This record gives sequence, C-alpha cells and structure tokens, in this order.
Amino acid sequence: MKTPSLWSRLWPDIKPDWPRFAIAIASVPLISALGAAQPVLMKRVLDEHIVVARADGLWQAALVYIAAVAGSFVVEGAYTVALSVGAENTIFRLRERIVRHTLSLSQRFFERQPTGQVLTRATSDVEALSEALSQGSISILLDVSNMAAVLLAMFWLDARLTLALLGLAPPLIAMIEFFRRRMRSLFAEVRDALAALNAFTAERLAGIETLQLYAQEARTQERFRSLDAEHRDANVKNNFYDASLYALIDGISSMCVALMVYWGARRLGVADASGVTVGLVVAFVDYIDRLFRPLREFSGKVTFLQRAAASLEKIFWLLDVDEHITPGSQDLPAGTHASGRLALRDVRFAYTEGNDILKGITLTVEPGEVVAVVGRTGSGKSTLVRLLARVHDGYRGSIEVDGVELRELSPHSVRRAIGSVRQEVQLFTDTLRFNLTLGEDVNAERLQEALELTNASVIAARHPAGLDQPIRERGANVSAGEGQILALARAMVRDPEIVILDEATASVDPLSERLLQEGIERVFARKTCLVIAHRLSTIVNADRIIVLEAGEVAEMGTHAELIALGGAYARLYAEGFDAAEGTTTA
Amino acid sequence: MPTGLFPNLRRFSRRYVLPRWRWYVAGTFAVVLTNWMAVRIPVELAHGLDALRAGASEQATVAQAALHIFLFGAAIIVVRTASRLWFFTPARVIEFDLREDLFAQFLSLQPDFYATFRTGDLLSRATTDITFARAFAGFATLQGANIIAALITALGQMAAFSPKLTALAAVPIGIGFLVVQQGSARLMTLQRDTQQQQGMYADQLLGALQGISTVQAFNVEGPFADRLAAQAGLLRQNNVALAKLRALVFPLFTVSGGIAIGLLLGFGGQMVLDGELTAGALAAFLSLVAYLIMPLRLMGFLLPVFQRAEASLERIHAIFDAPIARPERDRPDLNTEASTPVNHPPALSVLHLNYAYPGGAPALIDLCFEVPAGGSLGIFGRSGSGKSTLLRVLSRLHNPPAGTVQVDGHDLTALDLDAWRRRVVFVPQTAWLFSETIAENIALGLPRETLEPAVEAAALKLDLAALPNGIETVVGERGIVLSGGQRQRVALARGLAHAGEGGQSLLLFDDVLSAVDHHTEQILIRTLLGRDKHAHKPPPTCVIVTHRMSALQHCDRVLVLDGGRAVAYGTHAELLAQPGFYQDSWHAQQGTP
Repeated sequence: MKTPSLWSRLWPDIKPDWPRFAIAIASVPLISALGAAQPVLMKRVLDEHIVVARADGLWQAALVYIAAVAGSFVVEGAYTVALSVGAENTIFRLRERIVRHTLSLSQRFFERQPTGQVLTRATSDVEALSEALSQGSISILLDVSNMAAVLLAMFWLDARLTLALLGLAPPLIAMIEFFRRRMRSLFAEVRDALAALNAFTAERLAGIETLQLYAQEARTQERFRSLDAEHRDANVKNNFYDASLYALIDGISSMCVALMVYWGARRLGVADASGVTVGLVVAFVDYIDRLFRPLREFSGKVTFLQRAAASLEKIFWLLDVDEHITPGSQDLPAGTHASGRLALRDVRFAYTEGNDILKGITLTVEPGEVVAVVGRTGSGKSTLVRLLARVHDGYRGSIEVDGVELRELSPHSVRRAIGSVRQEVQLFTDTLRFNLTLGEDVNAERLQEALELTNASVIAARHPAGLDQPIRERGANVSAGEGQILALARAMVRDPEIVILDEATASVDPLSERLLQEGIERVFARKTCLVIAHRLSTIVNADRIIVLEAGEVAEMGTHAELIALGGAYARLYAEGFDAAEGTTTA
Repeated sequence: MPTGLFPNLRRFSRRYVLPRWRWYVAGTFAVVLTNWMAVRIPVELAHGLDALRAGASEQATVAQAALHIFLFGAAIIVVRTASRLWFFTPARVIEFDLREDLFAQFLSLQPDFYATFRTGDLLSRATTDITFARAFAGFATLQGANIIAALITALGQMAAFSPKLTALAAVPIGIGFLVVQQGSARLMTLQRDTQQQQGMYADQLLGALQGISTVQAFNVEGPFADRLAAQAGLLRQNNVALAKLRALVFPLFTVSGGIAIGLLLGFGGQMVLDGELTAGALAAFLSLVAYLIMPLRLMGFLLPVFQRAEASLERIHAIFDAPIARPERDRPDLNTEASTPVNHPPALSVLHLNYAYPGGAPALIDLCFEVPAGGSLGIFGRSGSGKSTLLRVLSRLHNPPAGTVQVDGHDLTALDLDAWRRRVVFVPQTAWLFSETIAENIALGLPRETLEPAVEAAALKLDLAALPNGIETVVGERGIVLSGGQRQRVALARGLAHAGEGGQSLLLFDDVLSAVDHHTEQILIRTLLGRDKHAHKPPPTCVIVTHRMSALQHCDRVLVLDGGRAVAYGTHAELLAQPGFYQDSWHAQQGTP
C-alpha cells in the first residue's frame, strides 16, 4: 500500500477533530513569521540604535523584540495543544475502531494469528502513530515552513551572503543523507535484536515455572545473555553514527559563522560594498542556528513517520481482514419462550476447502430433549459444537432454531436461543461477577438462580470477597474444576432455550460432575440440550444418544438399544469413552 | 524506606554507573572541552566584529578571527563526537548489565512472587523501564554534564564581559527555570499514570483476545469494547493533560531566554552608548545567552528523564528487593546433606501440613501421610480440593511451613532448592511449551538420544508422525498449534525424559494420565510404579493426581482430599471397602450404580 493512501485512510478518525488540526496548520505560517522576525528585530536594535549611537527609540525597539518572543510562545502553545489533543482523540477513535473490528473477526482469523501480534496493533502501533501525529507530520511541515521563512529573511537582509552560505548546502545534505542511510539499516538491526530479546523475555516469563521445575535457570540465562549482547552491540554501532552526525551539524554551523566573518573581512576592501554590520552577523548567527536545528531533528522526525507508516500498514492490514461471522437480522418470534427445537439437515462443514469434517449431519432435537453426542477424536463433535455456538460460519445444509435458519438469526436472538459451554474455560482478569455477566446488565435474581443451579454459589462462597473476588491472570486462583462450573453458570445466567454443552474430560472429578449434572438436569427438564458427552452417567441418562463417526451419524438410540446393537457405541463403551480424549480440544 | 532525593537513582548509580566512572570522566572532559571551544567562538566573534567596525586597516584581524572560529568549529566535530560516545557506550553496557541482572532475578523468584504480579507488568519493567534507566545513564548524564559545563563556561565568559548584564540576564532565565521545576513535578505524576494506564489497557485487551471465542459465543463484543473504550478514555484524558502541561512548560525556557535578550538589547545597548561596552562584546554576549538557551531547554527534558528513570528504577528495584522464597538460605545450620549426591528415591513424610496461598484461604489442612522411598501415592478428590496445591508444595513451587514435610528425615525447606528440583519431576495439569521444536521442549538441555523411550512411553509417537517435521516441528506462536492433549503428552514425555534413570527421583503427575488412552496408561503406570517384572531400574517415588481409578488401584496408597483435608487414606482395597466418596466414584466409573 502506498504511504499517502495509508494516511488518507486515517481520515475518518481525524475528521471529527479537523478544526484542531486546522488550527495547528493555520498557526504554522504565524509561528514561522514570528520566529524569522526575531533576528531582524534584533538587528534593527543593534544597527539602527546601538552601533550608530541613537538612544532615541532604543527601548521601544527592544520591547518589540520581546513582544515577538512572547507572541511566539502563545502561538506555539496553541499549536502544540491543538495538535496533541487532536492526535490523542484520533488515536482514541482508531483504537476503538481496531478493537470493535477485531472482536468481530471470526475464529479462523484468531487460529492463524498470534494474540500478541493483534495486541500490538492496538497498543504499540497506535502509540507509534500518536508520536507521528504530534511530533512527526505537521511538525515537519512547521520545520519546512520555518526554514523557508528563515531563508526568505536571510535573502532579504543580504542575498549575496546568503547565497555564499547556501553553497555549503549540497555537501551538507549529501552528508546527512549518507548518515541517515547508514543509520536506517543499523536501526533495523537494533529493532530486530530488541524484538528477539523481548519475545524471549516474554515467553520465558510466562513459562517461568516450567523453567524452574526443570532447573533450566543457567541455560536460559546463557541464551538471554547472547540475545542481550546482540542488542547492545547493535546499539553501540548505531551510537557512533548518531554521535558523529550530531557533532558534524554542530561543528559545521560554527564553520558557517567563520565563513561569514571571513566574508565581512573580504568586503572591507571593496569600496562600494554594503558592509557586514554587527547586527547582520548577530542576526545570521541566529538564523544559522534556526536553520540547523530542524535539520538536526529532521532524521528523528522522519523516523517517527516511517515507524508510523509501518504501523499504519499493519493496522490497516488488520482492519482489512474481512473474516466475520455475518450476523443475521431475523428475530425469533416473541413469546415462544418454552420452545427450543433444533433441527439439523444435511449439515456439512470444512475448515479447509474440500476436506469436510462434517459430512451431512441430520438430526432433530425436540424441545426439552437431552441428546448426548459421542464419538472418537476427530469424529466432528467439537466442530458441531462450534457451529452451533456460531464460532464458525460457512456451513452448508441447514440448522434451524425454532424454525429459523441459524445464520439468519440476529445476534440478540442467537444469544437468547443458544447457550454454550466449551471445554476450555476462558476466564478474564476481573471479578467473579464480571466473569459470569461478561459486562452485561443481568438481573440479580437471574444471576442468583444460575449460581444456585450450577453450584457456582459454592465457589463464590469459597472466596473471601464472594462474587466481587478478583480473578487473577488466566484464572490463576481458580481451579480447573471451579472454572468448569463457572463456565456453566455463565451460560445459565443468560437463560437460553437450547444448551450446547461440551463436557469437561479431565478437569472435573466425577462427584463434582455429578453435582453439576444434577443442577443442569433441573434446567434441562425445561430446555433442549445437546451434550458432547464423555461421562458415562451423562450418556446413560440422555434421552437419546448419537454416535458420530468421521463426520457422520453412525448410530442413534438409547444406551440399551445401542449396546444391544453391538456396533460403534458398544466398542466405545468398552473402552470407557475417554480414550485419548485430550485431543478433542483441537 | 529509602529517603532523600531520587533514592532509586542513587542506588542505581552506585551499583551500575560508578563502576564505569572512567568512561564518564573521559566523557566529561570532552564535554568541558567542547563547551570551552563553543564559548571561545563568540569571543573571537566579538574581536572580529569590533575589528570589522574599525575598517579596512583591521582586515587581517578579522580574517584571523574567522580562521579561529573555523578551527574551533572543526575541533568541535571531533570532540563532541567523542563526548557523546563516551557517555552513550557505557549507558548501553549498563543497560546490558541491568537487563541481565533483572532476568537472573526473574529466574530466581518463585511462584509466590509471580502470583502477585501480572506478566505484562513484569515485561514492561524488563523493557520500557530499563529504557528509562538507560536514558538516565546515557542521555541524562551527558546532558547534565553538558548543562553544567555550558553554564560555567558561558556564564564565566559573560561575567568577564559584564557582571551587571550577566546578573540582568539571570533574572528572567532564573524565573523560567523555577516555573519549569514546578511543572515538572506534575509532569512526572502524569507520566507515571500514563505508563500504568497503557499497561492496564494492554492487559484488558489481551484478556479479551485470549477469551475471544467466549466473548463471541456470548455476543458480548459490545460490552467488552465499551470496557476497553472506557480504559482508553482514561488514557486519553491523561495524555491530553500531559500534552497541555508540556506545551506550557518546555517553551518557557525559550521565552525566558528571549526576554533576557530583549532586556539585554535595551540595557546593554545603553551601556554601549555610554561607552561601557563595545558593540562586538554586546553581540558576543547575546550569542552567549542564545548558546545558554539550548542547554536550558534540554534541562526541561532532563528533569522528566530523571523523574521517569526514578519511577522506573523504583519499579525495577521492587523486583530486585522482592524476597526469594528460599528459606534454606537463611538456615545454613539446617542445610544437611542436600548438596551431596543421592542415589535413592526420596522418602516423604508429611506431618500436620497446613498451607494457604499468600492472602488466600487455607488450601491444605492438617495433612499427614508417608510415602516410602520408591513407593507410590495416588491422590483423588473433587476440583478445588487441594490436589494440585499439594503437588506444588511437594515440588516446593511453594514452601510448606518448616517441619511439616520431611524428605529422608530432613526438613524439605532446609534442602537446597536447586538440588531438590533436580530430583523432582513435576508434570503440571496445564502444559507449558516454548516456541521451539518438540525435541527441544522435551529435552530442555538433555542429550537428544535419551529422549526416545520417553516419547514412546508418553504415546507421543502417533502425534509426531502426523506433524510436518516430526519431533523437529516447531510449536507455539511461531509454529504449529498443538491440541491440549498433544501438549500434555509432550509435557509428559518431558517429565519422563527428565525422570531419567528414576533412581533418585520424585515423580509428581497432576492429572496427566488423562492425556493417554487406557492401554498406554496401564503400561505407563506399571513401569513407573515398578510393577513391570522386567524393569531393571529401581522405581522412583511417585505422587499421582488422577481421576482414573484404573490408575489409582496400582498405587501403594491413596489419599482422598476434600476441601484441603484428608477424608480417607489407605490402600485402594481398603478405600473401596468403606462407603463414601471413593466407593461412589468407583461405581460411577465402572458404570454400576
């Protein structure tokens, strides 16, 4: 993507603050004019009063100079505030855009994309952009404008002297360019070294217990040291160029002053030449400084912009990802609360083209019925759950909820209709309450009912602060079994018509499971339920059992019927159902 | 409590900066020289200008002044480069050292510490905060030296021209400086808040992304986005306040310098008219004031750098000061044969063990049991009953109270932790794999050729066959995503590989058997527990948490936990004979009511 179009795509975020950016841009010529005027005003005091010994009006002239300085302060202040506030508002909006977009992306995207990278888009990348907006973009415009104003003033004061000094410009620019190129490749080296170092640190910190349990401290420290050293060495190399460039610009500006004085000496001998006055030299010394200062900071600002362009590209790449679960718009008819009929007809699904995981599933779950789904690893059980929970889109065939096609249903209706409990419990670093309500307003009675029903109230009682107990990072203070119960409570809080339950395998022990099951069954008496079952008790007590094999319904019936059949189910039963069950989370 | 100004900067300086004093002395010398030359330039300029006014007769003097200025300019290029290098190079070396020390500290700190800090927070201390510490050691020291040198040389030269004008110039600049100091204190607080809020925002977003499938399944994208927007709003508010303050504070130096120049033009101009000063001297004086403004402006940057570094170092020092939970180091008198090599599996004796996580409710209550050397204990219980906690205490991820756990008759907490960890093989419930090859994940430093039996025993062969590069497949963020079961089997293989000969190990398995099928489980458990008739190695001591009674029945004894208490303890047969949880569960798993 071309850089200009990248920036133009930021327009929607900038737009609401355009008056601020307009004020900043409008103040640019004013700042430049006030800045370039100061040396002229200084020269006037020197040459028209001091050198020619005219006391009259000396102070007025000096006060005009002070007024220009104070004016600069005010205008520059307004410029900085307008620009910074505009930049902050812009990135606030961009952040929000990224977050809302990202949260709407489908699971396929998240399966491909490491979480850390997505996180970086809304944090570091956005912050790089903020820097560029407040210290890069318009600031470069200001620098250019300042330099132009200074050159204009210099020409106006002494065109020949200015031209002579400008003769120095081409070699100077060539030199700066040489350094910039050298530094750019070195900077890339530094950045890569830092990224490697930080990635290593992050992963080792996250896996610290494993390192300690296996006494890997010394080995890990050694690897860290070599990455750390690479980073240091790259930086030390970079430092040399950085330091030289800085000093070169500094020294050369002094050489310019020398040249100017020498120029004055040369002109002394020329009869008709306008002399080099004290005021002129003082003004030019000031101008040279004003010319060099932006040059010195220019490479830094360009770096801000380059970094921001790279960040923008990544941000818009993310914003361009168009893998959504398209929400439908149809609402379930009101008042059908007691219903909840689930009908699948010839449902097919593939993660990758031409590789069907589900190969035509047809089954109906009547309102209030409890159907257990069993099958080996890879039989398609988890995929079925994911489809019904609308984690994945793009199924063929039809899935009807109370007679309405699932993909046509509005998000609100899907939520009202289907509650799902996944095997892998995801807990958020917030309170227990938040983990149940997920930030939605939930009626207190409804919440309490769900807690009692699922025995999650027991878990809340276990923690000193009850529902307000903070859950630590990745649920560190919640056991796997507690997490399972919380996940169930979370689904029940929403009082769905249909419950899709992917039963836990290893995490919940049989008795907790039984307690849980009791609670569930009380609810399930009124609801439609599809359980990916691993526990014998669940399977045996189900109204109906469906055996999946390689994405197809192989057998269907009650426990007794299927045992009598002596087929796939009977074999699974003999193996204890949970053979190599860990793999089903894939 | 550390007291005085910038206690953390002083501590950091003593430890890291002072040992590199040679660099800084050389750098300071170069800085002083640079500034001396830079101040000589206006002096030469004054000569040149006054000679210029005198006319053609003084042409040679003017040319000579020009030559001097040119030579000073050329010399400044060399000396200034040196001055920057001599400050920035040690700063990079210091950054390297600090990083290294911090990482070593991270490796030493135990789980109790990690339970109280967010990983994101620790990471930002190891990255951003170190950057600020380096900015102090490099940028701030250089500019500090530069400012002092500039002030002394330029003020000295100014006073030589005219003490009266120098005092006059000092008034607006001094006032500006005081105002900036006031503003800087507020800047520091705001900056710290920004840092904190950035971290909180990142944490919240990370949580939402990691839990994205839940967020989507429950259709709560809206509330989550609102929650994030509220956090981003706080961040924005803070940054705006920061920007406004910066817009006011930093340009104050420039403006006070400008006012000083204006006043000098008035007063100094009068002095020239009165013959007290030459016009060249006044011009030189003005450029000296201008020369002073640059370092003073930098001082505006410098104070925040000091303050940010102080805040960052406070956060870094908090890590260095965090206690490392290794009680054996405080009790060398009790440190027994821990470091001498052992050649038998440990015998465990647990007496009235109570344990609560820091700030938490009791997790283990009054546990008593024994596991003889080479013996096995099965642990059974509901979720949250304390099974995992018990294994974590036995592995000393958390320290039990002194005297409650004995290993071969010695207090566990008096043993050298490293030596104990080398004897313990703990495979936790959730497997952690690094973004490396599976082989590297299993080996963790062991020779490759020793992995084969462990891979076989963990039933990992089939999984490996299905992967693109087999055991050399890279997993994790930069590679293949393994399923939960596969991850657990890799962790199991890792544990088995490290149990090695088994001759001196304690094996702690937390619900890992569920990752393998029944057949593999049976073979594995027989081998581990030494039930295999063909085994030629002494079995390790085993403590196995599992819900599978088919595995528990092979253990010498079984401990049933509920709410952190032992509710039953005995052989499988004994427990089966008693009515209760164990018996009920057995029937549930056998499918007989």
